[in-house]
Parts: sequence; C-alpha cells; structure tokens
Amino acid sequence: MRTILITLLALLAVSPAGLAQNKGAAGAAKPKGLVRVNSTLQSYSAAQPWERTNPVRRRGLGAVLPGKRILTTAEMAADATYIELESSDGTRTAPATVLALDYEANLALLAPEDPALAGWLQDIKPLRPNGAVTIGETVNIWQLEDNGEAIRTSGTVRSVDLLSTFIEGHYFLAYEVKASMQSASSSYTLPVTRDGKLIGVLTSYSSKDQISDVVAPEIIESFLADVKDGTYEGFPSLGIATVLTEDPLFRDYLGLTDDQGGIYISRVVPGSAANDSGLEAGDVILRIDGKAIDRRGYYDDPLYGRLFWSHLVRGMKKVGDALKLDILREGKPETITANVRRAPEKLIPDHIHDSPPAYLIKGGLVFQELSRQYLEAYGDKWQTRAPLGLLDALRNPEDYEEGRNRLIFLSRVIATPATIGYENVGNRIVTEVNGQPIADMESLVEAFRQPTDELHMIRIDDVPYVLYLDAEISDVVDKQLLESGLQSLSRIRE
Amino acid sequence: MSRLLPALLGALLFIPPISAEKTLPLVAEATGADLEAPVPPPPPSDIYRSVVRVEVATQVADYRTPWNSGRFSGGTGTGFLIGNNRFLTNAHVVSNARRILITKRGSAQKFPARVIHIAHDCDLALLAVEDFTPFDDLPYLEFGGVPPLESQVRAIGYPVGGDRISVTRGVVSRIDFRPYSHSRVDSHLVVQIDAAINPGNSGGPVLQDGKVVGVAFQGLRQADNTGYIIPTPVIRRFLKDVADGTYDKYVDLGVTEFPLHNPAMRAALGLPDDGFGVLVASVLPEGPCDGILEAGDVLLAIDGKKIDNSGNITVDGEKVVLHEIVERKFAGDTVELDYRRGEDQRSATITLKPFPHARIFAMRYGERPRYVFFAGLVFQPLDFNLYATYQFESPRVRKIYQNYVKDALFKEREDVVILTRIESDRLTTFITGFAGSVVNEINGTKVKNLRHAHALLYAPDPPEFIEIKLEGVPRPIVIPSAEAKAASERIMQSAGIYRPYFLDEAPVSAE
Repeated sequence: MRTILITLLALLAVSPAGLAQNKGAAGAAKPKGLVRVNSTLQSYSAAQPWERTNPVRRRGLGAVLPGKRILTTAEMAADATYIELESSDGTRTAPATVLALDYEANLALLAPEDPALAGWLQDIKPLRPNGAVTIGETVNIWQLEDNGEAIRTSGTVRSVDLLSTFIEGHYFLAYEVKASMQSASSSYTLPVTRDGKLIGVLTSYSSKDQISDVVAPEIIESFLADVKDGTYEGFPSLGIATVLTEDPLFRDYLGLTDDQGGIYISRVVPGSAANDSGLEAGDVILRIDGKAIDRRGYYDDPLYGRLFWSHLVRGMKKVGDALKLDILREGKPETITANVRRAPEKLIPDHIHDSPPAYLIKGGLVFQELSRQYLEAYGDKWQTRAPLGLLDALRNPEDYEEGRNRLIFLSRVIATPATIGYENVGNRIVTEVNGQPIADMESLVEAFRQPTDELHMIRIDDVPYVLYLDAEISDVVDKQLLESGLQSLSRIRE
Repeated sequence: MSRLLPALLGALLFIPPISAEKTLPLVAEATGADLEAPVPPPPPSDIYRSVVRVEVATQVADYRTPWNSGRFSGGTGTGFLIGNNRFLTNAHVVSNARRILITKRGSAQKFPARVIHIAHDCDLALLAVEDFTPFDDLPYLEFGGVPPLESQVRAIGYPVGGDRISVTRGVVSRIDFRPYSHSRVDSHLVVQIDAAINPGNSGGPVLQDGKVVGVAFQGLRQADNTGYIIPTPVIRRFLKDVADGTYDKYVDLGVTEFPLHNPAMRAALGLPDDGFGVLVASVLPEGPCDGILEAGDVLLAIDGKKIDNSGNITVDGEKVVLHEIVERKFAGDTVELDYRRGEDQRSATITLKPFPHARIFAMRYGERPRYVFFAGLVFQPLDFNLYATYQFESPRVRKIYQNYVKDALFKEREDVVILTRIESDRLTTFITGFAGSVVNEINGTKVKNLRHAHALLYAPDPPEFIEIKLEGVPRPIVIPSAEAKAASERIMQSAGIYRPYFLDEAPVSAE
C-alpha cells in the first residue's frame, strides 16, 4: 500500500498562489485546523546497532484538535529525534512531543513541548473528529501552499477496506479516496475533512491511480479515546492464524455445509486471548459477536458492506472486551467467549521503532536481538537475501520459542585481536554462552560475566558451532573499541 | 569446508559443451596409466592428428514438465586419443548426449561414438567409436606431470570461430584446489593458465613438451584470458578408477573443518601456538568418519602429513588442502588420521566410502526426472536440478535442502518430496498457492521417498479423503478419493501428461 504512494513527498510547488485548480474539485480556501509537522527521523543501523543512521526528514500536515493536540500518522513520529510544529504560513514554529503513538494503526498524537512557545496555535480553529464515511460521498483533502493558503482537493470515497499502512501485517479500517492532487510541500500525510470535521488521516497517495488511502474516523476515535483515559493501551487482538475455507474439498473434509461460511484456525498464539479462551487449531469460526463469517473471512458490515472479520476484533473492541465466537469443533457447534487484549510479545518483534536495538559487543563479536527490521535491512529482496537461518526463525518462530524471550544472534564479527580467524562468521543464532542458555540480551550480558579459565565459550547454530574468546584480551579490546568512538558496548531493552 | 557442502558459487562457468580437441599419446595402453613414451615424441603436427572434434546432440530433461521429452539441442567439443579406441574428453561435452559423432582432423567424415565412462564429479569422460579402423594409425597422447608455475603450455582444440584446429599458448599462472562447475559441488586440483579457453576447447589437451599436462575445461566469465585445465593427477585418478570397468566416484572424509587461527580457541583446545591443527567443526552423519571423529576434535595429521591451522598440508613442496590426500584415493582405501580430543592424542584409520546422499547438491545429467502425478498435483524429489529449476523461495524448503546432509535428514527422507506444481482444474482452484512445499505426510504416514509417496497416493483401499500435510503450510490439502481417479484422467488429458509417474532413475549410456 505504501509502495507507489507518497510521491507528493517533499516537492515544492513552483508557482505562486492559486494554481492547479482542478475542475473545481480543488481550490484555495481558508486553512482551518491545519499545522505543518516537520520531523527528523533517525533509526538505528542494522549492521552497527550502537549508532543511528543518517537522519531522514519528513514534512506533513497535522490536524489541530481541541486542546492543542495535533493528530498525524505514526510514520511522522516513529524514530523521531525532533518534531516541530510550523504555522501554515511558515512564520512560527514550536517543538512538539509525542503524547501517543500507535505503530500498528499508523496514528500519532502530538502536543507542543512548551505551550508558551506555541501561543500561535491558539489562533488555529481546531478540527473535531466526527462520524463515519459513506461510500460514494465527497470528502476534502487538505494541502498547504508555501504562502500559507490552503489547497482543498475534493474526492470521492471509493471503497472501505482493512489496510496495513505502516507495520506489515496489521490491518485496520481505512478508505480509498479518488482525487487528483498536486505536488506541495508538507504532503507526507494530510488531514481529510467533511463538512469542516476531521474524517481521516491520509497515509498514502498514488499519483498513477490518483488514489489515497485514509485511516478511517472510527480508528481515529478509538485511538483518541484510548489516549484520553490516561494510559495508552493500543488495539486488541485475538491471537489466531486462519485459513479461508473456499476450497469445497476442504469444506467437505471439515464437515461444513454449503450454507455455512467459516474460517479455519491454523494456529493459536501461545499466551494470546484465543489461547486463554480455549480456542484450538482446527476449530472453524462461524460467527463473531453474532455476525456470520463467510468462507473468505468476510462479514456484512451495516455501514461498509463486506469487511474482513479481523475488524470485529481490532476495530470494534478495546482491550478487555468480550468477544463471542460460534465455532465448529470436530463437526459440533460450540460457543466460546474470548476477552481480547494486546497480543503477547513476539519472539521476533514486527518492528523496533523508538526502541533502540539491544546489542552487546564482546571482544569484537556483535550480538543482537533479532527483529523483522533487521532482516528488512537486506533490501527489497530481503525475503530471499537475508540469512536463511534467521528468515526461518521469522517464519517459524514456534520452533525457536522454547526457553527464549528474544532470539539472540551473532550478527557480525569486528576484526580485533580477540577475533582472529572468526572474521567470516556472522548471522548465527546463539544458543549458549559459558554454559548458560541464552533467552535474551540480559541473560547474554549475565553469561559473559562468568568466563571459565579466562575463556568465554559461545555456542552457535552453525559452523564452527563453538567460538572461544580470551576474557582478558576481550576486555582490552572492548576498552579500545570504546576509545575508538564506540559510545557503549551494550544496550539492554527497557 | 568439505567439498560435500553445497557451494553455490557463481563465479565459475561452464565452457559450453561445444568442442574439444585432443592430442594423442604414443603408448598403446587403453587406460591412462602413466605413460613413459617408449619412442621419441612425434613432432607436434603428428600429435595434433589425434585431437578430434566431438559433435554432440543432446536432450536435456525439463524438470518443470518432467513428463515431457525435454529440450533437443547440441554442441561441439574436443577430445583426444589416449589408447586403443579410447578418447578422453570432458563430461560436460557429452552430458545428456543422444548422439555423439567424432571427426578426425582434416576430414569431413563423422564417426558414431558412445560414452564408455563418464565422471560428472571431475568432468571427464571416455568415448569409443563404433569402428576404430579409421583411427588405427593415430598416435596415442601421453600424460606428463603438473606443469610448474610460469611454464608455457599449449591448448589444442576446436573452439568457436573456425572449423580447423586451434592452438593457443599460455603460461601457468596458478595451481589451486578449485570448484569444478560441471557438477556444481565438487572441487579438485585445477591449473589456471592465462590462455583464453573458449567454447569448443572443452575436452582438448593442454600440452607441454609433447605431453598432456591437462584437459581444458572451464573459464572465468568475469576475467579475460583465464582458462582452467584439469591436471593429470585428476585425470590419472579417473583412469585408474574406471580400470575395473566401473566409475566409483570420489570419496570424501565427510568432515567440515574450521581454521584454528584464534589463540583463545587454540588455548581452549589445549593446543600450542605453533600454527598446526585444524578444528573438526562437524562430522557428516553416516560418513566415513562418523563414530570416529567428533565435533571439537583437532586434526593434526593425515597420512603422516602435518596439517596446518588452515587445513593445509605440504605435498611435493606445495601447500594443498588436506582433502588432496583423499582426492587421490578410492572407495575402500584407508587414510590415517592423527587427531586430538581434549588432552588425548589419538590416531585412527578411516576406510573411505562414497557418500551418495551428498549428491543431492550435485547437478544431474542424463537422467530422466522422477515424478508422481495425482489429481492435478505433481510431486518431485528435491535435488539440485529441481532446486535450480523452481528457485524455491520458502525458507523451509531452502533450509531442508541446505541441512539435508548436515542434519542427517536423509535418515528419515531418502527423498525430500516436493509438491512442485498444481495443475488447473475445478478440484485445485483454491489450492494452487500451496505449490513449492515439502510434503511431510500423506494419510498420516511420513513420506520416505517418492516411491513411498506414490504408494500412499495410489493406495488400493484409500480413506474417504487423501490428506496431504505440507511443511509450514497451515492446513492439509484434501482430495476426495472418490473423485481422484476421474480428476487424474481429466487433468492428464488437458495438461498433456501422458503417464502418471516415473519412478526409476534411468542412467544414460553405460557408466
């Protein structure tokens, strides 16, 4: 979804005010509830996790909400080292802080760091979130000219669906707007309104198809409600992997009749709401909260028509809510109630934005906790180019979960006097250090405190299977690495 | 690293099997025993008469449609007479051959020939013509030693760019243990020369002082003027191996070594810092050292030759990898190993044996691909050809392939059976996405090999549903037995699959 889009990015509109009227669909208008958001993002280097990568700058628009809160996308704030609010005409700025960030739903709520510096925000009339969209209706997408004039592009809501707009695999209610937009600065994300009310946040625009993806107002409202009650919890999940049942042979095999729908549970995540509720792999879910689920996983939504079942959990519930499931188990109907909650932490997290990667350097051996982001750093073809052993762990974490909270691996070897002969060893899963099983970075750090006979012994999952380090030489090497500009030899997850 | 591990090196490329030229030794022995020329070497022009052009028509199996005939193609190479109706050439020149014709220098007449022995692991083959009479007067080419560095050699052959014999001069620039690209998995001694070896040169003799010092066989695509030749120790081994009428292939220690440069690792293993000894990182299950060596042992000497910390030994003043010792031996031969385990110094006599499971990583030639077809599903055993054809993306398939030998997966799976294709049909509309997966179970039974899969799929008294469980696939594939037969017939008809299975490996020609 993010693939084509965002061509609008940082292009500056060349001509002065009043250009690019688009068949009356777009036009200059009074800016209302708009503020520029300028962020500087710096993630951490996959190869050298102790340091940050080169900064990336993103400029987008935020929607000013009552109480001087600014709503934008998580992509504008994830890994941000500095966020600044800027008035539409570019004359005033104020540093901002993040109040809440939801990577999965791609939403962020900002506030001025020092209200005294953001007095100018008073003059901006806030937008209020409101309602739901209707397919076919017209909404307005807002951009800003350099001179501060607002450009309004009207477009039609084409469809409503669940989209994953930031973190892969997390799908939330969103809609598509067909509208032809122009290049303008601060267009990384844009507010969408209807009748002067906030009705979405744009996450992407494809100039080829002239289609924008917009986070639905329901998701924004859930996000804001969650923030309001004090602690931000996030969106709940059930914790199952499913397979569709369109294959008539498979349906016969499961004993499903032709008038039934149903989705087949292929895996129940340990420690999840589904696991606690007693759901099992092999069960077929027929109804969720009374809504019949068809063989392709869709239910009939009163507002939007066919929607994928996961919206009934992630979009309609909050953490702690009960979910009623009518299932078929070995051909017999049963009813199960699950109390949905946040998904348990994964062995290999989907992302590590804003949480600096945990690492440890010992004598030149660099250990890290595996994350999907590490593998994605292998580029576009990471799914085939990344190290096979690590990819397998990402795809089949259940085979690696026992005794582990995180997957620790030797990511690379820095050539030092302690690592002579080990230079080509890398991307090996660590199983044991100094006789201690390794469950996470803390246990690795602890294990390295106890060398035997002045030697560290590291067991890995591939040739040469065992590495030794001289404890004394490693300590000297570590000291030298620090002196040569490495700021710290380790970082533990908070 | 042992040469049994899949070496997916892209650097070395075949010289396409186009031509080979040959020279001839004077000795009349059919096998390539060391030939001390009993008569003075003939002038070069006379030797060149025994270098022949080999024209090959090939049929290359298509692993994507294993029921089809494959691709008909061809090429030329070079060969040379080394004995009574024995022509030496490269295996790759005559691989997948359906017809071989040999042409004498300066003649247009083509003489039918056949493969007597073919060794894909060292890229050599012996040919014979049906009627040797026209070749009776030709001298046999004679073998020399390994040419020294910087010495000059001549490559003779019939490369592209003309019909007549071609001679190229070059200088020996390196002698090394290098991959042989024909099988994709084997490494042997190689002599590098700075003469370009071009398509068609393959199989041709490389001469020094009137004797064969190698067979031209491959080049390096990204470097000009670099040619590789198979030196005489490898050729002699091949000829000795086939002397009993069959080619028994190379043997291997079945050990993965890791260099012992690290002082801490040496200290942990109780070794002095003297530059000797290499770590046994792993021992191949069921290999010749299984049960004798263990991971963590340190190899100190092989056949009395001290092993340095990179796994090299010194032979005739040259550093070579320790596998060179095993290289020259045969199945049933023994090798003496001195090694260290903990504080103990030990010795063992290893009896070498072939290790067929490792051939899963080798390119196959001249074999008809095995497959089983069932109700739109195509099952094939995993090997290099299949892997290269389908470029499997699933990490599980890739991991099973890579660890097949190392983790002794062959004990449970003689074949790794893959569901490679799913033909279009109303029965298969919703399962096409499952192609490219490893088959674990059929009807609750673990699949051992392709023949087993066939027996389970075509069981005489099947359950209501044939249930196929795939590795890493979230649900089974189910085919109602009542519909299977009709579906198989219908789909075979529409997809042009003329027979439902092929289970036997059919070797091409005599081997």
